[in-house]
Amino acid sequence: MKLASYRKKSPWILHYNAGGCNGCDIEILACLSPKYDIERFGMINTGNPKQSDILLVTGPVTKRNRERLVEIYAQMPEPKVVVACGACASTGGVFRGMYNCEGGIDQYIPVDVYVCGCGTRPEQIIDGVVQALAILETKTKELEESVRLNKEAIKENKQLNRRNIADEIKPVYT
Amino acid sequence: MAKQYEIPIGAQHISLLEPLHFKFTTENEKIVATEANVYYVHRGIEQACCSKFKFRQVSFVVGRVCGLCSISHTTAYSQVAEKLLKIEIPLRAKYLRMLVIELDRIHSHLLCLSHVAENSGFEALFMKTMQYREFSMELLEAVCGNRIQYDFSIVGGVARDLKPQVAQSIMERLKKFIPQLDELMDIYKNNWTLSLKNKGAGAITKEDAMRLNVVGPFARAAGLAVDVRNETEDLLPWKEVGFEMVTETTGDVYARNMVRLRELYVSIRIIENIINGLPESALVTETKAFPDGEATVRLEAPRGELFYYAKGNKTQVLERLKIKAPTFSNVAAMTEAFTGNEYGSAPAIIASYDPCLSCTAR
Repeated sequence: MKLASYRKKSPWILHYNAGGCNGCDIEILACLSPKYDIERFGMINTGNPKQSDILLVTGPVTKRNRERLVEIYAQMPEPKVVVACGACASTGGVFRGMYNCEGGIDQYIPVDVYVCGCGTRPEQIIDGVVQALAILETKTKELEESVRLNKEAIKENKQLNRRNIADEIKPVYT
Repeated sequence: MAKQYEIPIGAQHISLLEPLHFKFTTENEKIVATEANVYYVHRGIEQACCSKFKFRQVSFVVGRVCGLCSISHTTAYSQVAEKLLKIEIPLRAKYLRMLVIELDRIHSHLLCLSHVAENSGFEALFMKTMQYREFSMELLEAVCGNRIQYDFSIVGGVARDLKPQVAQSIMERLKKFIPQLDELMDIYKNNWTLSLKNKGAGAITKEDAMRLNVVGPFARAAGLAVDVRNETEDLLPWKEVGFEMVTETTGDVYARNMVRLRELYVSIRIIENIINGLPESALVTETKAFPDGEATVRLEAPRGELFYYAKGNKTQVLERLKIKAPTFSNVAAMTEAFTGNEYGSAPAIIASYDPCLSCTAR
């Protein structure tokens, strides 16, 4: 079964607000609406991490949200792409340095596409998601090759690793 | 007694825009008790406003408290800072602030209505409402320069002027919008399928609403006539531009929809009145003073009464800033109104509260 070709035609979106101001979230909602109509790319907003391919995250990560964010990311099946929507999801934005904020989601999960703006425009979100589609395709190819050749998938760490300056992650349910 | 089950909703859920956690205790589909957990989004804005930012920068920071009612936050902060500085802003700035607040109310109410429709399982109505909502976003972009996070109010006045061609386009678009709003009103009022999910769901009585301190459309749907626009006249002249109170009696999801839709007509009338009688004056009052003393401000945000308290000490940085958001007042009633409803209608009830947790938690 050619799963990869189907995945390219209908990537499903998971949206999580990691402590933002709702601004980017309503723009994601506006993307689903008839004027911008993200469904023409086959995208549906799902609520289930186990069925989704693209994770759209908004907001600077608050200390209470980070465990949930990592949990959701871990529950998504490979291959998966993360899109950071908005200035505060990318770097922390205006909230950077506030006592309950971590400043950007890339401290906790690897981010593939950064979308700028406060708040992001729907056009920018669509552009970011379309870029994410290309990344999803290459990731799928890598994964399939690794299955065919029976070797480990290439895991390049292109991320700026800021994890070691942040606190360690505790499990959600203890 | 039937066996009780605990069902959680959140922090991540398809029907929620923001992290919010409800724990329902159910008995054969009936909700018997609810626990709400709203502080996922606490960022520490108040502390940063009193230490990291100067008082003129704070109006841009408090806009980021909430993306839906950012103009209410910036305006309320600007007003409280003007009280501390003891300045009077130009008349045109007052009217332009009211104009943007009402445009923001249109987009916020339509978003809430579409969300109620989606969570009731009426996807087509969600799409229709969102389609009709786009005009308000375009108008806000034309007036303020950004679709959301319009930093329109600044300390001392407003940042941009209203151009004549923009004012003309607002009037034209509003004229086009009125028949669309009539159509929406018809669907929300008379659609039988929607009424099955909405009528009688999440009801709260007038006495309970009074006892639990409910504000905004939530209170007005229960028959409680509370609106800051009706009470204060000193900062923004609401009655002069044609404000009218809208109330319903039943207090359920249907009544909240009706209150929001009827408030849209009032907002449209206010905007038309403002544009027809916009006075000519400067936009900003300049001052070199520093904030001193204490002041409070109340303002009607789309979700209810917004309260700001500020204390200055004759320096660039404020000593204390306190924000009390409308949803914070409603949390107690939100958990109360679930009791006795079916679990299946819980998402629609949550959407009809129009909760704004980034305001609540700051």
